Amino acid sequence: MGIKKLRNILVLLSLVFIISANVNARPISWPGGNTYMYKSDAIKTSKNYHYSPSYKYSVGVEFVNDKYFKEEYMNFRGTYLLDRKNTKKSQRNFYITGALSSNSSNNFFYGAHGDWETRRLFTSISYINKYTKLKNYTEKELQFGVAPYLGEYGDIHTWIMMKAKRNTMDNNWETYPFIKLFTGDYMLEIGNKNSHWDLHFMARF
Amino acid sequence: MNKILLLTLILISQVSYAEKSHDSHSNDGSHDMSKDKKIDGPEYKLNTKRYTDFIEDLSDVQIAIVDVKGMVCDFCARGITKTFYKDDTVIKVDVDLETGKIFIAYLKSKKINFEDIKEKITKNGQTAITMKITKL
Repeated sequence: MGIKKLRNILVLLSLVFIISANVNARPISWPGGNTYMYKSDAIKTSKNYHYSPSYKYSVGVEFVNDKYFKEEYMNFRGTYLLDRKNTKKSQRNFYITGALSSNSSNNFFYGAHGDWETRRLFTSISYINKYTKLKNYTEKELQFGVAPYLGEYGDIHTWIMMKAKRNTMDNNWETYPFIKLFTGDYMLEIGNKNSHWDLHFMARF
Repeated sequence: MNKILLLTLILISQVSYAEKSHDSHSNDGSHDMSKDKKIDGPEYKLNTKRYTDFIEDLSDVQIAIVDVKGMVCDFCARGITKTFYKDDTVIKVDVDLETGKIFIAYLKSKKINFEDIKEKITKNGQTAITMKITKL
């Protein structure tokens, strides 16, 4: 086997690994479901509540403390499930999302999010365009992960994840690991990026 | 990195196309309503331990075992159990993630309707394929 062929196989295997999975910070809940989310990282802290009238869409409000631009505001958010594909062993979703901010008509965002998951593997991709009073920028994010064990319904489920993020303000890709735990209606995600903790908690009710 | 993003999108769409092709051959949407049929044979695979635990404290009930697509995670199934527990004729619900089955224990007097179950599951975002009913 030639080196070129071996390299191509390795690239293909890497991509298959990246593509092959699914975890669960879903932006839409079950019909009539409520979701509370708390997120904190180096750039911002946010508290988000949304309601899902159906599994197709959710509407909600997000309270944001933006540490980068040093401002506080609310986002009125919406997410719509554009397409879902269910199979026996996987689920694939494509969402569109957007928000209008309370502090200025020039402050809003829109974008798309896709994920694909099995019980063992997860991958997602998102692309968000953000418009603010001070600067407009784009955020891109890739996630992939693996479940080290397959839990049954009601167990504590664990995912070992990798996240790669880039925004056009600094144009650098940041890649870092994190862990995702969920059980019942609760999820907790913890990661560490450049000595800053990323925390994400979600409860559904 | 932009190339990786592009490749990722292309591969996701390819994988999904492949799944669609596979499903169109393996699942034609028909369902088997046969009653009192053996449910742990190769023709209707389920997690026997999970099922045994489920029926342990049950008697004089009928159980619908529903095969579902898209139930790949605990979170995905939460809405399904909540939906079925709203039905007064439902005594107990459980999910077998390993084989993608839902166990629903109904009062014996209930006339189980697969179309009704299918609609509830569809409204939750998953897809019911087949159902079998057994009586205890």
